[in-house]
Amino acid sequence: MKWGPGGMGHRGSDVPMRILAIARNTFRENIRDKILYNLILFALIMILSSIALGQLTLGLESKMIIDLGLTSVSVFGTLIAIFIGISLVYKEMEKRTVYALLAKPVHRWEFIVGKYLGLLFTLLVNLAIMTIGIALTLLYQGGTEPGTYVRLLPVVYLIYLSLALTTALALVFSTFSTPALSALFTLFLWIIGHFNADLLQFATLTRSATIGWVAKSLYYVLPNFSNFTTLDSRNIIQGAAHALPMDAGVILWITAYGLLYCGGLVAVAILVFSRRDFK
Amino acid sequence: MSGLVAATSRYRLWFFAAALLLCAAAIKPAQDRVDAGLARSPSIDPDLLYFASPGAVKSLSLGYQSLVADLYWIRAVQYYGRREEAARRQVRYKNLAALLDITTTLDPEMMDVYRAGSSFLAEPEPIGAGQPEEALKLLDKGIAFYPDEWRLCFDKGFVYFLAFKDFNQAGRVWLEASRMKSAPPWMEGLAAMALSRGGAVETARALWERQYQNSASREVKENAKNHLLSMQVDEMLWTIEFLAGKYAEKHGRYPARLDELVHAGYLKAVPADPSGVPFDYDPHSGKAGLSAGTKVRYLKVPYDYREAFRQKLASLFPR
Repeated sequence: MKWGPGGMGHRGSDVPMRILAIARNTFRENIRDKILYNLILFALIMILSSIALGQLTLGLESKMIIDLGLTSVSVFGTLIAIFIGISLVYKEMEKRTVYALLAKPVHRWEFIVGKYLGLLFTLLVNLAIMTIGIALTLLYQGGTEPGTYVRLLPVVYLIYLSLALTTALALVFSTFSTPALSALFTLFLWIIGHFNADLLQFATLTRSATIGWVAKSLYYVLPNFSNFTTLDSRNIIQGAAHALPMDAGVILWITAYGLLYCGGLVAVAILVFSRRDFK
Repeated sequence: MSGLVAATSRYRLWFFAAALLLCAAAIKPAQDRVDAGLARSPSIDPDLLYFASPGAVKSLSLGYQSLVADLYWIRAVQYYGRREEAARRQVRYKNLAALLDITTTLDPEMMDVYRAGSSFLAEPEPIGAGQPEEALKLLDKGIAFYPDEWRLCFDKGFVYFLAFKDFNQAGRVWLEASRMKSAPPWMEGLAAMALSRGGAVETARALWERQYQNSASREVKENAKNHLLSMQVDEMLWTIEFLAGKYAEKHGRYPARLDELVHAGYLKAVPADPSGVPFDYDPHSGKAGLSAGTKVRYLKVPYDYREAFRQKLASLFPR
C-alpha cells in the first residue's frame, strides 16, 4: 500500500487532530462553494407552502407541511451528498492540491476520513437548520400538537443516516471515476437501493436456485435505502406526519446497518485511494 | 482605446438587457398559443390519469410516498372543485375514485381523505360524483385500516341512508359503530332511528329504551325519552282510530266522544297522552290528536308502520 510520505513516523495521538483539520477545511470549502444557498430555496418552499396549502387542499395542512418539509430535507440532502460527494476527492486530484496535502504528514486514510466527515458535518448543519425551519412553519401554521415536533427528530435522524450512506457511495466513486460517471453510479445505486426488497421477493419466487442465490446475495450487497424510509412497514415521513410512535429498537438496528455499510464503503474508498499512483 | 472598449461593453449590456426583456415578453403569448393548440386537439383527455395503479405509484415514489399522497389529494380536491370543467365532461368525476384510491394506498392513515372523499363520491350529481358504490368501497378501505374508528362507520351509514335509502343497512352499520369504545352515546339513537325507519320498530324501541336507561348525558336521555313517547302517542292515536272505526261499523257512525268507546266496552278508560292530557277528538272523521296543552314533546317520526300496527290490532279485535 502507498501511504502518505512520512506516514510511519506519525504520532498516533495526532490522528484525530489531522482528521478534524481536514474535515474542518472540507466544511469551510463547502460553505465557500455556497452549498447553504439551498436553504434559501427551502425557506421559500416552506413559506409558500404555509401560505398556499390552505387554498389548495381541504384539511391536512400540518401533515402536508411535515411531508413537504421532510421530503425537502431528504431531497436537498441527497443532492448535496451526491453532487458534493462525487467531487470530494476528484477535485483535489484535478486541482493537484492533493499533492500538497499528501506531502504533509497526513495519511491517505486520514484524508479520506476527514473529507467524509467534513461533508457529513455540512449535511448535519443543513439538516439542523431545515428541521428548525419545519418547526417554525408548523408553529406559524398553529394547531400542531407538541408531540409532533418531537416525532420529527427520529425521522430527521434516519434521513441523516441515509445521507451518510449516499455520501459514502459518492466518495467511493469519487476515488476512481469522473464526477459525471460517479454521479450516475451513485444515483443508480440510490434508486436501486429503494427497490431492494423486490430482489428478496424475486429470490423467493424464482425456481432457479442459482438465480435465487444471486438475487439474495445482491439484496445484502446492494445498499438498502428502504431501511431508512420504512419502519414497521410504514413510511417514516408518513409516521411523523401522523405523529405516530417509532420503535427505538428498530432504529438502533438501522443505525447499526448504516454504520456498518458506511464503514465498509469508506474502507473501500481508502483502499482504492491508497492504491492510486499520483505522478 | 479603453473608452472604446467600455462603450462597446456598455452597448453589449444594453443589447442583452433588451434581448432579455423581449424574450420575457414573448414567452406568455407563445405559451398561450401552445395551450390554445392543446385545447383544440381532441386527443388530449382532460381526465388523463398518468398512473392508474396505486401500487406502481407507491413503488415509483422512492420513499417519498407521503408527499406524493398529498399531491394526489390536492389533485383530487382540485379535480372535484372544477365544477365548470366537470360539467363539460361526458362522465363527471370519472377519475375521482381512482385518485382517492391512489391517495389512500400511498398513505392509508389519511382519515380526512376517507371521510371527505366518500362525501364527494356519494353526493348526487351535480353536487357530487353520484358514485355511492365507490364511496362505500373507499370507506370499507378506511374501516379495514381503522377497524375501531366509529366516524368511518358513521359515514358509511350515511351513504346507505341518504344515497341508497337502505335504512335497515344504515341502522345495522350505525349499530355496529355504536358498539365501538370510542363511539359517542348518540350513535345508538341514530341506529334506532334508521332501523325503525326501515321497519325494525321493536329493535329501534329497545335501543331507545337502553339509551334512556344507560346514557349519562341529559340531552341524549331526553331525546331517547321523546322518541319513545312519540312512538307511544302514535300507537295510541292509531288504536283510537281503529276502535272508532270498529264502533262505526257497529253503530253506523263514529262515537261523539271518546267516553262512548268506554261505555261500549272497547276501552277501559278515556285515553290520555303520556303526560296525562286528554287527546283531542274529531267525531266526524273518527281521528284523534294531541291536545294543544300536551306536555309531550312530540317528534314527527320519519317512518310509517301504521299498516303493520293496524294488522296487529285487527288480530287482537277480530270481527
